[in-house]
Amino acid sequence: MTSAKKTMTLNLTDIEMSVLEDLCIKKDLSKTAVLRQALRLYQLVEVRVEKGDKLFFEDDKTKEKAEVMML
Amino acid sequence: MKIEISKAWCLNMARLEGNAEIGAGLLAVDPTSHKAPIANPAASNVSHIAFGRLIRLMRRKEGLTIENLADKVDIDVDEIVSIEDNIHHNADPRTVYQLANHFKLPKAELLQLAGLAAPKNDALFNEAVRFAARSDPTARLSPEEQAALEAFVAVLSKNK
Amino acid sequence: MTPDVTPIALLNVANNMPEDAELWDGITEKQITDWETKWKPDLKRAQLSRNVTAQLDQSQHWDWRKKSQALEGMLALRGFSIVCNDITQGLMLVDTTSKRALIESQRGKDLVYIDYIENAPWNRSVLYNPPLYSGVGSILMRAAIALSEEEGFKGRIGLHSLPQADKFYIKSCGMTCLGQDPRYHNLRYFEMTPEQAQEFINKGS
Repeated sequence: MTSAKKTMTLNLTDIEMSVLEDLCIKKDLSKTAVLRQALRLYQLVEVRVEKGDKLFFEDDKTKEKAEVMML
Repeated sequence: MKIEISKAWCLNMARLEGNAEIGAGLLAVDPTSHKAPIANPAASNVSHIAFGRLIRLMRRKEGLTIENLADKVDIDVDEIVSIEDNIHHNADPRTVYQLANHFKLPKAELLQLAGLAAPKNDALFNEAVRFAARSDPTARLSPEEQAALEAFVAVLSKNK
Repeated sequence: MTPDVTPIALLNVANNMPEDAELWDGITEKQITDWETKWKPDLKRAQLSRNVTAQLDQSQHWDWRKKSQALEGMLALRGFSIVCNDITQGLMLVDTTSKRALIESQRGKDLVYIDYIENAPWNRSVLYNPPLYSGVGSILMRAAIALSEEEGFKGRIGLHSLPQADKFYIKSCGMTCLGQDPRYHNLRYFEMTPEQAQEFINKGS
């Protein structure tokens, strides 16, 4: 759906910008694309956590779960 | 988002696609898919009884009504009623999958119990028979059961 | 929000003639209504008329309306539909964020994952002989590729195919099968690389 695009100026520290650029290279995406993905992921996670679900990382070898986010 | 697709492209691809099935994704689990026939109908009845009993008791352990459960797992109410009460009912694979997720039960075993997957051995079936035999309630009616029963009997009497 | 509409064509199978149709960049109330009032009852009817046994007599035990309410406003999820003769002919739901490519040459990269893609019952030869329209699958795949390119994912696609559709994704779409996925009811998982996406587009040109 073509929604009107709004422009935002983002002020990042040097380190934050460096992290963003690293992610861009690693993921082969533009800065805008990386930040869009981050926003989408953040929304997905928030919706699940609000529902009462928990977000975990699972250690691939030990299968141990460590909680990532708590409500 | 507008896409550049020519009508010629559409038609060329349609001819290549022909009559192919295209469904993908768990949400599209196909109601026309053919499942392997159940070899032993008697065995399947007991299995279904155990499956239905299991779901009912797990549901009641959580204090949920059928409607609550249906809502939580995104399944029709009548499918859950049929699972719990109709020994001939063949549950939909997606339903079993959703129930397994919700109750944190192993999917493969649940599919076998529901008659949707070939049993790997007799052990599960024997356990199912044992469970079905032991889980038939003999306790007195609870106040809720009593109330629901009386209300329904009243409706039946009114409809005569 | 009104979806963007791209004019397309479907092939009428019976008379082998093209018919004008539309590709919508969204799943709207119209699609949900069509699914409720046309797809679902038609599926039930087709199953009954084929004299299927109790085992096959299942209706889809989920509710698109409820599903779409849950998806409302989620940035990661995009819907697409095909409309012809004012009736929804195909539906697709994709996720742009939750999945990453598994195929070796693309490992870890973002892709468009097709959560759901389905043809209207009357377009399926397993239910109707002859089916009404052909081409729905290819056009929706093309839409997914276009979205993938727009996102910067270069055409990468992923999906879990229903068994009877494996052939379409292997032969027509030229995707790579990475095997059956036990986490997804043993459905086969397919991926399309940027190169395969370009080949798919070239096929119809």
